[in-house]
Amino acid sequence: MAILPDDIKAAMQGVIPSHVVTCSHDGTPNASAISQVYYVDADHVALSHQFFNKTKRNLEENPRAMAWVISPETFEAWDLELEFVRSETSGPIFDIMEMQIEAIASMVGMKGIFKLRAADVFRVTAVSKAVGERIPLAEIPRAR
Amino acid sequence: MSADPSDTSGLREQIAENQQAIDRLNRDLARKSNEVRIIQQISSEITSTLDLDEVLGIILRAMDHVLAFAHSMILLKDVADNVLRVAATRGYAEQGAGAQVRLGEGVIGVVGERRRMMRIGNIGASMRYLKTVRARMESSGEVGPAEAPAVLPGLTDVQSQLALPLTVKDRLVGVLAVESRTPNAFDELDEVLLRIVGNQAATAIDNARTYQIVEQLGRLKRFFSPQLADLIIRGGADDPLKTHRREVTVVFLDLRGFTAFAETSEPEEVMGVLHEYHGEMGRLILAHEGTLERFTGDGMMIFFNDPLPMPDAAERAVRMAVAMRDRAAELAVRWHRKGYELDLGIGIAKGFATIGAIGFEGRWDYGAIGTVTNLAARLCGEAKPGQILISPRLLPEVENLLEVEEMGLLAVKGLARPVKPLNVLRLRDPA
Repeated sequence: MAILPDDIKAAMQGVIPSHVVTCSHDGTPNASAISQVYYVDADHVALSHQFFNKTKRNLEENPRAMAWVISPETFEAWDLELEFVRSETSGPIFDIMEMQIEAIASMVGMKGIFKLRAADVFRVTAVSKAVGERIPLAEIPRAR
Repeated sequence: MSADPSDTSGLREQIAENQQAIDRLNRDLARKSNEVRIIQQISSEITSTLDLDEVLGIILRAMDHVLAFAHSMILLKDVADNVLRVAATRGYAEQGAGAQVRLGEGVIGVVGERRRMMRIGNIGASMRYLKTVRARMESSGEVGPAEAPAVLPGLTDVQSQLALPLTVKDRLVGVLAVESRTPNAFDELDEVLLRIVGNQAATAIDNARTYQIVEQLGRLKRFFSPQLADLIIRGGADDPLKTHRREVTVVFLDLRGFTAFAETSEPEEVMGVLHEYHGEMGRLILAHEGTLERFTGDGMMIFFNDPLPMPDAAERAVRMAVAMRDRAAELAVRWHRKGYELDLGIGIAKGFATIGAIGFEGRWDYGAIGTVTNLAARLCGEAKPGQILISPRLLPEVENLLEVEEMGLLAVKGLARPVKPLNVLRLRDPA
């Protein structure tokens, strides 16, 4: 369906870290920084799974997520609505992401420690330019 | 006129969209024809020479002039080691040639190891992130302190790299890399362009390298055994023809009475004796892995510990000499029967020599220069039939092997003080 515009690619190189928001079964949201949202094709992105964290746990309970990516050239931001498809531990997408992680890891003495466990592939169900909206502080619901 | 204004704007949008599509198609077309032009230009230049340095220069010039990659380098895979060595660079303050990257290390090393292209535009951000993760893991005791990071060739503060493995029939020849201090400096189009150049570059580099190796092999095989020549080519030993200084054990031998024999005998007889003698001595040189530096009629000079380092060079030299003496004694029985008065004398010395290619274009020899060769030659000249005279400097390494007798003082040209050589009587029986 080609949902992702071409100019979003620059925002998917991890120059400015992206953020991903997931939600647990009981509705508790979690936002987390992620080093890269990888452009797979015009309808799919992949997120690197490196640690067992809340994002990963939430996705097991609830396969929907939102990602926020920013172009380092124009500082344009996009919101992506995502639906988890599958977790890949081999194949071209995994290889490309894993190679990059290994290259960087080897440069900081982290080879074999910092590695890609899986490439989590998502279908992009909606994409919009994130304009941002000020929310008065008092109205933000407090997390319990 | 009361036209609906929304109709016009819809039309305008449509026209603008169409124009964008046309522009995009034009851009694509221009890109395609540009690619074809690049392929033609580079391939005709690259195939115009078999000189490796020229080939590398042409490739990097094309990267700069045709593709506008300002910082580029070519690393070639060492045949023997899992190492990529910088062979040519362009756009750097320092040349960096000779710097190396282990396979699996950094962007270039990983590209070489996996034989897959990599484009990365966030090296700085990724490294900062990983260093933070690392610090957290260190403080929680999950990992030990970091090993020293590898020193990699290229730009400091590099942000973007695009690296392509150069392969010929699945064999890794090297890696072609471009880089930039700007984040996200390279895009998918750059990948396409680099791939085009890379395919041709790999073949051209491989051809030039093969040619270079064949040439070098021919040169080396004149002086060394085929095995050693191969080892040198594959990088397992340094090119011995490059001038270097090394401590060697030098063995000189010649036949006492040969000059008189040569003057009074038929040429066929002389050549027959030499052939037999060279053949037998040559076999023993190979068996002890000595390096034959030269023949001068009946004289031979052999050394040990170059090109291949040998911790037991002195022992090998002495064992070879004793074996030669035994074999020459057997030959001499026959020679004496025919009336030839020929006996072997040997001199051995140890010391530093300057070794490398000596000569001039078209006639190069591999040679050693130093007092040690003079001393070995002098000892050989002094040896009586069947004697092996060794310099005292050799003794500490071989005294457990040998029974020796001390000889009188001997003046040697180039040495301030006379030496007191030792004559090798026999090898001790192994205890």
